[in-house]
This record gives sequence, C-alpha cells and structure tokens, in this order.
Amino acid sequence: MNMKRPLAFLLAAGMTLGLAACGGNGGTSGSGSSGSSGSAGGSAVTLDLWAFNIGGFTEASNWDTILAAFNEQHPDITVNVTPINYQDGDQKLTSAITSNSGPDIIFEGPERIVGNYAREGLMVDLSDLWTESGSDIAEGISSVSQLDGTYYMYPLSVAAHCMAINYEVFEAAGALQYIDEETRTWSTDDFVAAMEAIKTAIDNGTVSLATPGIVYCGAQGGDQGTRALVNNLYSDYYVNDDGTSYNANSANNVKALTLLQEMVNEGSLSANASYAAADELQAFANQTCAVTFCWNYSNYTQYAEQTQFTPFAMAFPSDDSQPELEMAGPYGFGVFDKGDEAKIEAAKTFINFVCNDQTVGTEAVKTTGFFPVHADWGDVYAGDADADLRAPFALMSDYLGRYYNLTGGWTEQRALWWPMLAEILTTGADPQTAADSFVEQANANIA
Amino acid sequence: MAQTSAAAPAQGKPKKQKQSPYSGMSKALIRRETISAYFFLLPSLIFFVTFVVVPMFICVFYSFTEYGLGGVKGFAGLENYVKLFQDPIFHKGFMNTVLIVVVAVPTVTAFSLWVSSAIYKMHAIPRSFFRCVFYLPVVTGSVAITVVWKWILDPYNGILNQVAGTSGFDWLGNQKTAIWFIILILFTTSIGQPIVLYVAALGNVDQSLIEAAQVDGATKLQVFWKIKWPQIMPTTLYVLVITTINSFQCFALIQLLTKGGPLNSTMTIMYQVYDTAYRLNDLGYACAIGVVLAIIIAIFSAIQFKVAKTDN
Amino acid sequence: MNKKTDLTGTSKGYKIFSVIILVAMVLFFLFPLYWIVTGSFKDRIEITAREPIWFPMDPTVENYAKLFDNPAFLWLFNIIFISAAAMVLTCITASLAGYALGKKRFIGRGVLFTIIICAMALPKQVIVIPLAQLMTFLHLKDTLWAVILPTVGWPFGVFLMKQFSESIPTEILEAARVDGAGELRTFASVVFPMIKPGIGALAIFTFVNTWNDYFLQLVMLITEEKWTLPLAIANMQGEMSTDYGLIMAGAALASVPIIIVFIAFQKYFTQGIAMGAVKG
Repeated sequence: MNMKRPLAFLLAAGMTLGLAACGGNGGTSGSGSSGSSGSAGGSAVTLDLWAFNIGGFTEASNWDTILAAFNEQHPDITVNVTPINYQDGDQKLTSAITSNSGPDIIFEGPERIVGNYAREGLMVDLSDLWTESGSDIAEGISSVSQLDGTYYMYPLSVAAHCMAINYEVFEAAGALQYIDEETRTWSTDDFVAAMEAIKTAIDNGTVSLATPGIVYCGAQGGDQGTRALVNNLYSDYYVNDDGTSYNANSANNVKALTLLQEMVNEGSLSANASYAAADELQAFANQTCAVTFCWNYSNYTQYAEQTQFTPFAMAFPSDDSQPELEMAGPYGFGVFDKGDEAKIEAAKTFINFVCNDQTVGTEAVKTTGFFPVHADWGDVYAGDADADLRAPFALMSDYLGRYYNLTGGWTEQRALWWPMLAEILTTGADPQTAADSFVEQANANIA
Repeated sequence: MAQTSAAAPAQGKPKKQKQSPYSGMSKALIRRETISAYFFLLPSLIFFVTFVVVPMFICVFYSFTEYGLGGVKGFAGLENYVKLFQDPIFHKGFMNTVLIVVVAVPTVTAFSLWVSSAIYKMHAIPRSFFRCVFYLPVVTGSVAITVVWKWILDPYNGILNQVAGTSGFDWLGNQKTAIWFIILILFTTSIGQPIVLYVAALGNVDQSLIEAAQVDGATKLQVFWKIKWPQIMPTTLYVLVITTINSFQCFALIQLLTKGGPLNSTMTIMYQVYDTAYRLNDLGYACAIGVVLAIIIAIFSAIQFKVAKTDN
Repeated sequence: MNKKTDLTGTSKGYKIFSVIILVAMVLFFLFPLYWIVTGSFKDRIEITAREPIWFPMDPTVENYAKLFDNPAFLWLFNIIFISAAAMVLTCITASLAGYALGKKRFIGRGVLFTIIICAMALPKQVIVIPLAQLMTFLHLKDTLWAVILPTVGWPFGVFLMKQFSESIPTEILEAARVDGAGELRTFASVVFPMIKPGIGALAIFTFVNTWNDYFLQLVMLITEEKWTLPLAIANMQGEMSTDYGLIMAGAALASVPIIIVFIAFQKYFTQGIAMGAVKG
C-alpha cells in the first residue's frame, strides 16, 4: 500500500498536463458519483455501499426504504448504494480497491469479505458489533465471520443451497417413488433410479425434455451446487478435517465423480462445459431439464412467474440420506479500512441499524429471501401470505453442513474446479487422475 | 499558439547534402520544423503519453512486484516472469493466440479479396448490397453479435443443433470446437472492412494495363497476379494490420462465450491478463503477462512494417 | 489453361460456383441479425422452444417492455456519446499529429513513428490496471470520460492520418509558406481540405471501434446510470438467468439504429473508408 505514494507523484507529474488538456471537456459529464470526497463539512459523512445482488436486492430500489428509515434516525450519514453482480463484481471490486476508489461498505458473504479482503488486511475489525448484539447468532455463522479470532463481517441473513426437481415431470415419469416428500431427501441410489426413469420417459415421449439434468461445468458462480452434489453422493467433504488439503481425490469423492461420469455416459445426466449456473437454471425453468443443482428461495422467487410447473425443492442425494448442505451466505456487511475513523464509525452505525434493529432488519432479511441470523427473531415469515412457500427452504436449514469457503486459496481453487469437472464429465478423463491433479494445484495456494 | 506565424523565409536553399532525412534543410529550418511539428503533435501526444505510455511504464514496474489486493507487497524481481514461462495456462494461451492470428488473418484477407473480386465489377446496386451485408456484423456491434451466437450455439435451445439434429451437442463446451467458433465469429466481424477496401482498390486498378494484358492472351489468373496484386498491395498491408489488431484484441467474444474455457481451450494471452488480474487478483503476475504480450505484439508489428517497407 | 474460357478468362463453372458461395455467405452473414430482430419479438415459449421457430408466430413486445423498465435510452445515449466524443477528439488530435509525422521532418520523428507502430496494436488489457488507477486519480473513474480519453490516446488514428497526409504534395505546402501563411493557416486552408476524406474514414473507424470496445466499458463504468447499451446487454446474461428474449431486444436496440444510419449513409461510409486506405 505504501508504494502508492511515490507512484502518485510519478503520475501527478505526467497528469498535470493531461488534466490541463482535458479540463475543458472533463466537466461536462458531471463530477461523478465516486463520492471519494472525505467528510467535508462538520460531521456529515457519505458512505459508499457496494451491494451484491442478493435475493430481492437484485432490485436495487429495495434499498431505498431501508436507507430512508436509516436517514430518519441518522440524517448526517448518507449512504450511496452501488449494486454489483456476480458476473463482473470481482473485476469491479479489484479494479476499485487497487486504485483506492473502493467502497466503504460491502454487502456479501464471508467468502469475499473474510476470505479475500480480510485476509489481505483490508477490512475493519467489527468485534464490537458482535459483543454488543451477536450473542444469539449461531456458532456456525459466527465462526465463518472471523479470521484468526477477529470478526470482519457482520451477518444479516442465511439459508441453505439446495436443488430442485420438476414435480410434474417426476410424477409423469413415475419417479416420485424415489424421493421422500416429507423430508425432501433421497438416497444416491434413488437419485440414480429417478434420473434413469426420467431418461426412459424422455425416450418414449412421456415427458418433453431435452435431458434429465445438466451438470454445468462453465466457470463463474453456482459452484456450490456442483460441489454439494459431488460431496453428498458418498458423504464426504470438500476439504479434509483440519482444513489443510482439498479433498476431491478422496476415495468417496472420486467414487461420486465416477458415478456422475457413468450417468453422463448413459444419458441420465448431461454435462455442459459451456453452461454456467444461470444457463442451467434457465434450462430448468424452460423445462429443458428436470432438475437444477442451484436452488434456493431467492431463485425460486426470481423464476416464479416463468415456471409453468412446480419446482420442488430437494436436498442433495446422499448415500445415507443424510444430506449436508452448503450455507448460502451468511450474507452481511464488511467495512473497508480506509483510515477514516468517522467513516468507520458511521459504517458501523449503519450495519448496526440494518442488522440489529428488528423492524428494519426483518424487512432486510425478507428482501434477501433468506432467514435471519438472529435466533431471537424467530420465524420472521410467520403470518405472511407466502409462509408455506418458505417452509421447504426453512427445512433445508436443518441440513446445514460444514462451511469451508474460508479455506486458503479458495478463489484459486474455484478456477480449477470447473476445468476438473469438465475434464471428467465432458471428455471422459479418469476421475482419480483429474481429481489428484486438482488437489495438487489447489493445495499449492492453501497456505 | 501565436508564435507559429513566423513566416518561412529561408526555404529553397539546398545547402548541406546529408544522407539523413534532413538533407537540404538548414539547422534553423530543422529547429523550426521540429518546434512546429511538436506543436502539431502536442494534443495527440498528451493523450498518448498520459493514457498509453505512462500506464505502460507503471505496468512494467508492477510486473516486477508482488502485487495483490492489499497493494504492492514488495519486489519480486524476475519471479513473475519465471512463473510465466512455467505456466501451462500461459503456454496454452500463447498457442491459442498464435492459432487465432495465423488462421484468422490469412483467411480474412483471402476471403475478402475473393469476395471483392467477385463483386467489384457488378452494378452499383448489387455491389453495395453485398458490401453492406458483409459490413453488417461490424456495425451490429461485438456484444450484440456475440450474444446472438451464444443463443444460436446453445446445446438445447440453439437453432444450430435444432437444424442439425444434434441436440445437446455443446459446441462452445467442447475443447475441439470452441476455438473454431471463436475464430468463425471473429471472421464474420472482421471481413466487412477489408471488403470495402478491396472493392475500392480493385476499382482503381489501371484498366488499360488489364486490357493490354488480355490482348496479349493473359489468363485471368495471370492478370490478377501480375497486374492487380501489385497495385492493391498497399490495401493488403492495411488489411493485414487492422485484422491483426482485431485478432489480438478479441475480448468480448471470449468473455461472453467461453471465458477462456473449456479447459483453457479458448484462453488467449490477452484474456489471461484480464483473468489473472480480476478473477485471481494476482496483479503483478497479470502485468508480467501483459508486458510479454506487448513485446510479442511490438515485434509482430515491427516485422509487418519491415516487410511492408521492403515490398514497396 | 486450355479450358473453355469466356472473354474475361472465367469459366462458367467458376461463375456458378462463386454465385453459390456468395449467396451462402450472404445468408450466413444476415442470419444473426435476422435472429436478433425476430428473437426480440418472440415470447417465452417460442424463445425456449426446442424445435426451430423461424418466425415469431405470436409476436410480442413484452421483451421491449421489460427492456424499457430499465434506463435503456440512457444506455443508448451513453454509448453514442462515448463513441461520438472519442471520434471528434481522435479526429482532431490525429489529423494534426498525422500531418506533422507525414509532412514534417523533425528531430525524433523516426523514434516517435516506431513507438507509434509498436503501440498501435497494443491491447488495452495490458495496461488496464494502471489505467484504472489513473482514472481514479483523475477522478474520472465511473464517468464516460474514463472510456473516451484512453480511446483517444490509442495511436492508430495518428498512423492512419500520417499515411494519408503523405500524399499531400510538398510543393503545395511550400507555396503556402512562400505566400506567408502561418502553420495553422496552412493546416486549415491547405492540409485539411486535402485530408478530409481520410478524416472521414478515421471518424467512422473510431466511432465503430469505440462502440465495439466492450472491454474498456466493462472496466471503467460501474454505476447503472453510466452503463452503455452493449455493457447492459452483456450484464443481462445474469448470474441466475439467461433471458434471450430480453437480450435480443437489447441487442436489437443497440444495433438497429446504427445499421439504419449505416445503410442511409452507406455511400459516405464506404467511400470514406476506402479512400482513407487506398491512399495509405
């Protein structure tokens, strides 16, 4: 960071010329909303919040009511929200952070806030928020909000990633017998049988689909779905017990990869290296395939008006019918340390308001479409018109398993996971060899 | 701004006979010419230096550092460069970049020349129709063209598989086919401009030479190689330059269709710079890859111009 | 070469062959555009159909309605503004500089030209990290100027105008000088009229290339009000959905106006480009 200053001088020299030249035109497009001007007059503070499009916050205007309520109590703090998405959000953040124009607050999950940014020493210690009001937050959530004992993230809501099936197609194909509709679980054998039944139904024209299911192997997002699928089939973990090694080449995980490879070869699953999670979800909504591996309440609502069928949420299949799901989120806030105490204080005030004020917090939680991290808040959806639609997703929370997204080298291994899947499922490579090579490369960044 | 009005008294004095480009110019004249030249160059140079040269130097500097999200952590010496030569993704990216340039540039040039030869003698209306059609993908825009191709090539809903009856075949997800579709789409967006150029160039070829040759019994092929080809040479060079630039820089196609996948089969050096910087947050290494790419391109351009000079 | 040839030395078979290839290529080139336009009027069922639907049987404007729920016209304005501003600035700076490089003999000319040649094909990706920092430093990040200014800095225009200026006869410049015309007046009254077609070519080239420069837009523009239409289309390919109907509506809005302009002014378009290069 301290290399920035001499650099700035170097730039300044050349730039004075540049500024002089474009000063005439530069003004036209407005002074920009970069908001990097510090706390100028008195105690007024302006904060930049970059919010990932989580659940209902995809619609950025949903921040407005929260901000209005906040400003009623804190008129001196202005919060500018910039919505960003998972498509190019990393690029925008990296570019902004490395050029000192990053946000003050970020709304995301531990993967980036703790794993990426806190690890680089960019985030503010939020432990005081936790001591004040974090006592009713579950251990699983608090443990992922910290790094080496310091809290860098304060959470708002949480859910579980699950999958979904097309209920009517399963019914028509006679595959409902393979699922437990009560617990929404199924065993690995049931899963295989169900997908085979659907393939048969497609082949003899009973149902009109292109393929029973698609394993998407294209990069970018949604990797939790494919991870959970592989890990659950034979009940193993993505990372070994003490977090020192990635685990894709364990006997059970390789067995799972081999099973998926066989299913692809038999046509009871497809694998597409050009498909990302978005494409697979859309294919599910279009009734191109009968299952999706990337489901949660937020996707459910987003696709509600498109789906001409019942998307039935299911846990991932597991050999012991005891699924362990990945945590979606917890989604919450982190504060970037830019050395401005006033901003940091204001940011904490804002986070405290959104996450700990029960009235506002409940609204915010509902907008994300997930469930509150505060156990004391109880069932925030009780009494809502769509309460029973939420029930299956609340059920999924019971199956939450280990969280390993803070393992070292997480970002790098994500880039390696997709090629490995594609290699095994689309080119027929030997699962053991491919997984070994994945683990070797992923472990290189783990320290 | 005003001092340029100093009129031009000492002009036609053929004094010194240097072999340099300044032959026939007095020292004062050289000085005056230099001052006025830089005056004309100044606006352009301000932009060029500020937004290209200075960032390039900073990029070189970064390439010798360990630079992540937390800022520059220290000097890395040649570490990034050593890493680069052992990086299998870089090797793959290098080969793909070469493949794209080596395939796209000659095909675009040859095809545009062929199309132009076929249409340049037509009536004005069909001629402008054809020219227009081939130019359309250029004006449609790289993003619009790319997204429609993504849909056309979709394994399940794409029209290509529906027509070919190959439902489920993943053209962009297949290591062997993906890069060829990138090249094909690049081809459709690159051919328009050369055709416009060639049609004009062929129209300007001296007709009397052609007629004379035909009277002498030259075949069409002979006429082309002996008479037309030399005359359209400047156009060809220009076409080579813009097509090369296009091929080196095709970003939207890769970003929106494959992101370098599957299995890095469409990774190019250019895309690796972006990917390393913004997905993997390894900025020092990204700069090192960028510097190497810049050197490759500079060499490539220099060779192209050397060849151009000697050919002329 | 004893085959049956007509007067111009072309065989019948070859002619038929060329016509077939040409027609096939025309269809191939027109198809994506046709698919954008028809796709933008298809409803969800037709968009997601698994058998070919060559024409929207039940045309809908639903996709456009959805598109205009967003500030699509603002995005369109942004990209037009960026392309036009880059075009004007490039034409001014490049024609001045190109003239100097083409017609003046000055100290450092060779070196400068070599640098320009080497930098001409430099992809923006290479220097994007410092460039983004520079834009923040200038308080221009997330403004349209962050895309415009680097585009103007790219030296291809200078190269083009240099090639073009070289064709100006030196005698004319000398005559102007003898007449006592200052440098600027010589440029305005003698040089400019002669390189006008070249400037036209450069204008078109810069406009189209800036329009298509998705990369700089992607890196520099962050807030939704600053997006360009191409950037917005790319972003519609969301993380969790791929609505091709909406995307095609966006693509149609981004391409159809410029195509209409292109067809209307085709003559100037192609003439400009052609003249620029033939001289070059």
